[in-house]
Amino acid sequence: MLIQIQERDGALQSARDQLEQRVDERTFQLATANKELESFSYSVSHDLRAPLRTIDGFSHALLEDCADGLDEAGRTHLNRIRAATQRMGLLIDDLLNLSRLSRTDMHRQSLDISTLASSIASDLRKAQPGRQIELRIEEGLKATADPGLLRVVLENLLSNAWKFTSKRASARIEFGMTPSNGTPAFFVRDDGAGFDPAYADRLFGAFQRLHAMTEFAGTGVGLATVQRIIHRHGGRIWAESAVDRGATFYFTLSEMVAQGAQQ
Amino acid sequence: MNNKVILLVEDNPDDEALTVRALKKNKILNEVVVARDGVQALDYLFGEGAHAGRNTKEMPQVVLLDLKLPKLDGLGVLRRLRADDRTRLLPVVILTSSNEEQDLLNGYGLGANSYVRKPVDFDAFVAASAQLGLYWLVLNEPPPRRV
Repeated sequence: MLIQIQERDGALQSARDQLEQRVDERTFQLATANKELESFSYSVSHDLRAPLRTIDGFSHALLEDCADGLDEAGRTHLNRIRAATQRMGLLIDDLLNLSRLSRTDMHRQSLDISTLASSIASDLRKAQPGRQIELRIEEGLKATADPGLLRVVLENLLSNAWKFTSKRASARIEFGMTPSNGTPAFFVRDDGAGFDPAYADRLFGAFQRLHAMTEFAGTGVGLATVQRIIHRHGGRIWAESAVDRGATFYFTLSEMVAQGAQQ
Repeated sequence: MNNKVILLVEDNPDDEALTVRALKKNKILNEVVVARDGVQALDYLFGEGAHAGRNTKEMPQVVLLDLKLPKLDGLGVLRRLRADDRTRLLPVVILTSSNEEQDLLNGYGLGANSYVRKPVDFDAFVAASAQLGLYWLVLNEPPPRRV
């Protein structure tokens, strides 16, 4: 009997040792992968933008120094080169910000998400004072989240709502909370251009765009960023829409259930 | 504007040409001395190597320092400058591509006076150079000259 127990203890101990060793190995692999990712984006940040500066700078120099030798077509070509170069600069910056989001520390705290939404909306109003926008923000909603990251989420969703209603003479944009299928979720709703639900699964991929660039500007990184932040908070994000019928973006943050119940 | 030298520490010849062009467009006519790696920059400032015999009492009005450089990198240069009494107070503006947090923290941590990210858009770069020139060559009072 005693020998059996001792044997079992021994087996348990060695299983535990093996597990610990495997955890150590995985941790090491993860740390290595993280470090590689970090040095990758570090060199992207330094090295990928430099050639763009050369292209833009010397296109500019050509336009100035060789103005006499350039006709209208030549100038148009050069301006296209410059526009594309600057766009690539933006893409690189957005991509770097996206990769930074996964690496920054998160500090959750309880905060008033309605106040946050109002302050972002008032910034957007100031940026485009001419727009007719009826804004409805449900008051007193609370969330537990990292304040900086949650701001990025709301900035992206609200400025999308602003952007995709820009072709309307007047627009309605809403922020609130709804019990969607029993789980309370925050939502941002607009009555703008919307999107074809057939492509909904592409919405949250980086550099995915459902509209032509001439129609609505953007790099296509915004919603990928939003989704990454929501996932880091243990929440979910999804959208409902139809073409020309507006769009609604829903999201949850973990611990939402308990909070929803309290309200 | 005075006639003091601007030391540009930059290894990329395209960036060098564009920086000089941007300064010229802003009528900044100070002589621009270019060092193409960190060692050249230190040689110039301390009057060593190719610059042996240079009067080191004459320091540049401002050093525009790139971070990614051959041999000794920008942070290495900054570390050496801040450790030496002759250059401890020399105004250094980091002028580089990245705005990675670690570069900003290290740059300021080692005693950079300013950190400017080079924009891709050349018009924005010209505007930035105008402000840099106005601030560091006209407005800013440099540390007193050593005797």
